[in-house]
Amino acid sequence: MGCGSLEASDFKSDLKPIWCPGCGDFGVLQALYRALAAVGRPPHEIAFISGIGCSSRIPGYTTAYGFNTVHGRALPIAQGVKLANPDLLVVVAGGDGDGFSIGGGHVAHAVRRNLDLTYLVMDNQVYGLTKGQLSPTSLKGLETVTSPLGSLEDPINPLLYVLAYGAGFVAQATPADMPGMAALIEEAIRYPGFSFVNIQSPCVTFGEEEQQLRAHKAKLKPLAKLHHDPSNPLAALDLARAYGRELYTGVFYRNPAPPQPYDALVRLRQAEQSKLATPRAQLLDTWLADGRGKR
Amino acid sequence: MRDDLILGMAGAGGDGVVSAGESLLKAATTLGYHAMMTKSFGSQIRGGESSCRLRLSTRKVLNPGGALDVLVALNWEDFLRFGAELPLSADTVVVYDEKAGPARTPVAARGLVLVPVPISALAKQAAGSEKAKTAVVLGLLSGWLDLPAPAVLKGLKQRFASKGEAVLTATEKAFTAGLAHAAANGWAAPKALEKPAADAGPKLLCDGNDMCAAGALFAGVKFFGGYPITPSTEVMQILSRELWKYGGAVLQAEDEIAGVGAAVGASFAGKKAMTATSGPGLDLKAELLGLATIAELPLVVVDVQRGGPSTGLPTKAEQSNLFAAAFSGHGDVLRPVLAPTGVADTFRLTVEAFNIAEQYQTPVLLLSDQEIAQRKKAIDVIDTSTLEVAERRVPTMAELAEKPYARFALTESGVSPISHPGLEGGTYLAAGIEHDEKGAPTSGGAMHAKMNRKRFAKLEPLAARADLFELTGNPAAPLGIVAWGSTAGVAREACRAAAARGLDVKLLVPYLLHPVADDVYASFFASLTAGLVVELSHQGQLYRLLRMFTDVPSSVRSLCRSGANPFSPAELLTRLVELKGVR
Ligand SMILES: Cc1ncc(C[n+]2csc(CCOP(=O)(O)OP(=O)(O)O)c2C)c(N)n1
Ligand code: SF4
Ligand SMILES: [Mg+2]
Repeated sequence: MGCGSLEASDFKSDLKPIWCPGCGDFGVLQALYRALAAVGRPPHEIAFISGIGCSSRIPGYTTAYGFNTVHGRALPIAQGVKLANPDLLVVVAGGDGDGFSIGGGHVAHAVRRNLDLTYLVMDNQVYGLTKGQLSPTSLKGLETVTSPLGSLEDPINPLLYVLAYGAGFVAQATPADMPGMAALIEEAIRYPGFSFVNIQSPCVTFGEEEQQLRAHKAKLKPLAKLHHDPSNPLAALDLARAYGRELYTGVFYRNPAPPQPYDALVRLRQAEQSKLATPRAQLLDTWLADGRGKR
Repeated sequence: MRDDLILGMAGAGGDGVVSAGESLLKAATTLGYHAMMTKSFGSQIRGGESSCRLRLSTRKVLNPGGALDVLVALNWEDFLRFGAELPLSADTVVVYDEKAGPARTPVAARGLVLVPVPISALAKQAAGSEKAKTAVVLGLLSGWLDLPAPAVLKGLKQRFASKGEAVLTATEKAFTAGLAHAAANGWAAPKALEKPAADAGPKLLCDGNDMCAAGALFAGVKFFGGYPITPSTEVMQILSRELWKYGGAVLQAEDEIAGVGAAVGASFAGKKAMTATSGPGLDLKAELLGLATIAELPLVVVDVQRGGPSTGLPTKAEQSNLFAAAFSGHGDVLRPVLAPTGVADTFRLTVEAFNIAEQYQTPVLLLSDQEIAQRKKAIDVIDTSTLEVAERRVPTMAELAEKPYARFALTESGVSPISHPGLEGGTYLAAGIEHDEKGAPTSGGAMHAKMNRKRFAKLEPLAARADLFELTGNPAAPLGIVAWGSTAGVAREACRAAAARGLDVKLLVPYLLHPVADDVYASFFASLTAGLVVELSHQGQLYRLLRMFTDVPSSVRSLCRSGANPFSPAELLTRLVELKGVR
């Protein structure tokens, strides 16, 4: 199937989303359909891996091969998928809790390994699925059912976290700018290496007023308009520090000279090593006591 | 002259007793002996104590054996730390370095044959350094055991080949000094070995972890994800070198969860995938195993058992992970658990683990243990031509044409065709959440019950697999032993000894531990007036598992104890005869 022959609707499955009406994740889904259509890979060549949470339901709403796994482990599982079959387009998605709390330890390793996959975090600063508890991106002072007296913790900064470990593509989007989000997801997918989009996806049921679509519309600042140069990592880091205060959208950083991703290196290694393969029937010869089978 | 000899050596970590044992093993194997070596270490990384036991025989070696015939102690402190692993009998000849000082209790108190040798002094004299101690020891042993010196020296020199001419010459001098000392100082008790049969045939020299990696390669593994942990790490190390050659990949993950997670992902992507670990790692993997069960993804999980709980005894064997292997994780799960009993069958059972995983779309636990995994053995060449390799049932074009594709179709066998990303027409949603036949999430009780039934039913044929059980002896025998894993070798030898004493003892060795094969045990137990289930765990986990799933008559008892303290064949028979007397 060549580019352009696919429509956004080709990626829409028959499952009806369970999300609350108005949930930001609907917007993410629509943007993703558009991005996938623009990229043009047929659904069966896409593996869409997620963890657990409201947001992690998203693979089921596409026609791709989906895997709605367990809480916090989407990234390692996705890396296994990509290493097993580097031809696949691998997209990973989940919530802020899934990615930066229970799964937080995996993020640094996914970044440093730099497999060619795209990680979309639907960051609503709250635990949606379990009904409104504190999340690792909740602002200090936030009152939730598990922080009824106000949170005493500072939030994690997903943008800085991922940038600091050297990710080659880091962006932020919001459903308040649908065309912008679709374009960013497309660009992330096209980036040859680990790409990350932090999506400010409002939770209409448990989220704060200032994190809703209306507030996003009022305060979002496209980085392009600020004349940010996305090839400048230090400028990217500086802007990313404003996470939680400013809503910058667009590409913080795009490595202008992407290195070969891990999966490409794996392929090279396999090709080079395949010359040393032993026929199955002679596999055990290496262990012959007289040393005949030593290679 | 004797046809069987058990030799133990103990020293400080830097002394090289384990490499000396390996040289001797290699030499004995090329000479045509059957041989097995087990190593044991203190848990220090370098330094600390290390020991090995070597069993050389003109007959097939079934287990590391009981008490030592010959002990070589380079110093007493290190030897005494291995009390249980290097047991002495009244007949043990104790060779020790004079430098270590007079024999200590309990060695001194037992009236054993004590053979002090100035090992360090000889090394210093011949090679200019005490470092050549083990070369002296090998010279002594070559002389006393009547093992041809050229073969032993060759094995020894191979080890030092990379160290340069000077070291090689020094090593040879030390060896010759040992040889000369042995010639000049005969033993009171003859310990020389008979010559092996001439037609012994070629041998493989390997350990259980080698054969696990080899079995995985034979089965066509394409992905390994894991995290280093003693005593399983060698599986990962071998595959890290080999797997690329066969179009596969290895990921050293950030932790065990990620390791097994990546393997689950690779399996979802259609490839044969595995992980290997030990107790603490298995604990971490539990949630992902549940995911593989409900998403019906093939996966092989190797657990090389060590003493537990927690860090426990990281370098010692124990058979205490059976419960964790079968049950770790929540929900109703029927997880197949296989256990090899030695080096050679680790190969076959690893292949079998992949076959069952792929055929039934389930995680399979392969329970090895430290003793099997790190036991070096000369084994007969394995005939792989009869081994089958199973592949998962991928949907046919016709099945894919029927829309929509039902990934979890409720079939008669419980096995439904499984597609994978990349396959056109086969897209579906895999999930940890309960689902209907097409993969759509559900929280309905009726569908959940159906799917649970499916996931259990598909594994029913396993218990009827006669080849997953070893039954030896007279089927009507009044005495019987059930033993699994590394303990099975001891039980086999106990049965051999029983036959020699005219005792009618039969043996059941299950390679499939879970699901419990009700019929197999019922018919085994039927003739017994006294029976033992033998295993190295404080609780007796197989015994308890059997009590849970099958009727165990009161004539059958558990013989169990904590790890790092292997059974001896004689002990098994004594207990069995005692039990018979009681009845
Ligand atoms: C191991 C484990 N711990 C806890 C949970 C319960 N749980 C499910 S989703 C979730 C948090 C969801 O928050 P987030 O990842 O931000 O996703 P959202 O629902 O907000 O999209 C929790 C705690 C679980 N499913 N598994
Ligand atoms: S709880 Fe919040 S995140 Fe979850 S579906 Fe509802 S609005 Fe969306
Ligand atoms: Mg959230």
